[in-house]
Amino acid sequence: MNMADHLQLVPADRDTAYRIEQFLFREARLLDQEQWEAWLALMAEDIHYWMPAIENRRRADRLGAYAPGRGAYFDDNRTDLGRRVARFVQPSAWAEDPPTRHVHVISNIEAYPAEQAGEFVVHSVFVNYRSRGEADNDVLLGRREDLLRAHGDGFLIARRKIVITQSLLMSKNLNTFL
Amino acid sequence: MTNACNGSHSRLKRAAASEPLADLDDLVDLDQGRLARRVYWDERIYEHELEKIFARSWLFLAHESQLPKAGDYLTTYMAEDNVIVVRQKDGSIKAFLNTCPHRGNKLAFTDAGSARNFVCNYHGWSFGIDGVLRGMAGQELFERSGMVKADHGLHPVAQIATYKGLVFGNLDPDAPSLESYLGDFRYYLDVMLDMDGEGTEFIGGCVKSVIQCNWKVPVENFIGDIYHALWTHDSAARAMLGGPVAEVYKDPDSYHVNFNGHGWEFNLDVVGNAATLGDKELRKYLYGIQPKVAERLGELRSKMIGSISSASVFPNLSFLPGQNTFRVWHPRGPRKIELHTWTIVNRSAPQDIKERWLKGTMMTFSPSGVFEMDDGENFEFSTRTNAGFVTRQQDLYMGLGRGSQLTHTGLPGNVYRNQVNEANHRAFYQRWLDLMRAKDWSEVPQRDTPRLTEADFVHAPAKEAA
Repeated sequence: MNMADHLQLVPADRDTAYRIEQFLFREARLLDQEQWEAWLALMAEDIHYWMPAIENRRRADRLGAYAPGRGAYFDDNRTDLGRRVARFVQPSAWAEDPPTRHVHVISNIEAYPAEQAGEFVVHSVFVNYRSRGEADNDVLLGRREDLLRAHGDGFLIARRKIVITQSLLMSKNLNTFL
Repeated sequence: MTNACNGSHSRLKRAAASEPLADLDDLVDLDQGRLARRVYWDERIYEHELEKIFARSWLFLAHESQLPKAGDYLTTYMAEDNVIVVRQKDGSIKAFLNTCPHRGNKLAFTDAGSARNFVCNYHGWSFGIDGVLRGMAGQELFERSGMVKADHGLHPVAQIATYKGLVFGNLDPDAPSLESYLGDFRYYLDVMLDMDGEGTEFIGGCVKSVIQCNWKVPVENFIGDIYHALWTHDSAARAMLGGPVAEVYKDPDSYHVNFNGHGWEFNLDVVGNAATLGDKELRKYLYGIQPKVAERLGELRSKMIGSISSASVFPNLSFLPGQNTFRVWHPRGPRKIELHTWTIVNRSAPQDIKERWLKGTMMTFSPSGVFEMDDGENFEFSTRTNAGFVTRQQDLYMGLGRGSQLTHTGLPGNVYRNQVNEANHRAFYQRWLDLMRAKDWSEVPQRDTPRLTEADFVHAPAKEAA
């Protein structure tokens, strides 16, 4: 499921693409509003939520900038995501109180039918802007590759790969999902 | 195991040491447990730290497992000095300032890789992995100018030495050996590095982030501050363990130990740290190997392999047994650090266990980790409040556990009852003061007398012990 495999493919039909777009916008809004449990409910039971750490390696280096089994900010299944949510909602999560203000901007959405009927490979980019307290403002940009699965009237996220531009994360933490 | 670097320390110029700061005694009162906030903020103090702490202490460079083959290299920092660490053809490891000695451009722009030579992007000067200048475009013009190529190799890190897989460098050719620098602290390091004679390895590469804090704040946190975990990490503990952090201050069998400014706080619950990764297979693994570790290192140390504990090696290397995060806090001015973290595992551990550890370490102690998130916030604001001109003239309290020192425990180093303590903080600042006051190593007092011999760090092979 890499990008090249789908470049030749016909995108999902306009109605499906619209619904996928609305789904991703809604997901972003749930994160902005700290509706953690509602966000978690968008994840499939078999979710693999992966955000590798990025290394600076030469183009000729076959190890590449990232790979499975290397360092990762997230390499999560459903249980792991649930634990992160459990921390966010603890009254003693001091670093979240007062709350961080988030905006997740989602754009460049491309949706293609996946091999499995009812599944879609969806590419998107994000800008995450976080503000805490008086003067903590962190910005993070990246590209996502999702596998969405039709579910009832909507979708579930079955895979998500998040590739950010920073190799040295210019922030003290990453207190959200992307 | 010190490797002379290139035999040409003349390639590493060092300015004469500056006069120590005059007001150092105002900064720290170890008897009363008083620390001046200026140590976290003052540019002048920071400049002296670069010179008197970082440019002459043994600094962690790499784990040998990161450089398995000749030509394998990585780039890292010694404080703000960028260095290339590279495996040689003879199996030794050398390190060089990551800069071309011609016009000063950066040489290697990668985090890691494998190289036959290092070529500068600017004018194409080419250096061997041994640091020797091999050649450049228009070489005959340089020769006509009277330049002797052999005199213009890379600037070597003055000393390189390893201890059980950990590669350290020192930019001071006159610094004492790594063995004496670590001293009896190696007794405790063996808990992490030598459980079974098979050694350790780093897995998963390096995860890097920036924290707007003074470098000493996190070092203090890891050298002896389990106290914060009860409060700071309540939310993460409830998420990962389903309950609050253990009430460690009630544990009578818990300790602070330190030697030469390195410190370790621990209890003896075997798996308390490992438990926070929320994976029972890791606890089973530790309980499984504990009897063998006990045969090798003794009962007490076998109970430290994943217990509630944390440690820092002076000046800026820290790790957590059980959570297996290994990290260096590189200073970037007095108010900023670059944090480099790795996951360390026993080389002999099953692959599945290694993968579980990598995942667990990232889940807890990485920038997105449920524990680390709260630490960053504390580190930053313990530094930033000192922007206040009057605020930074105030003192901090660092006297917890005064009078808790134990004698005749049979353990090496300075030993204190109760891991909820600030004895290691005080020992760290004693070492810090000693170095800040000294014009060279001959002026650094040897406060801690080693009792152990080299033989004490050579253990019976696991197979024989088993």
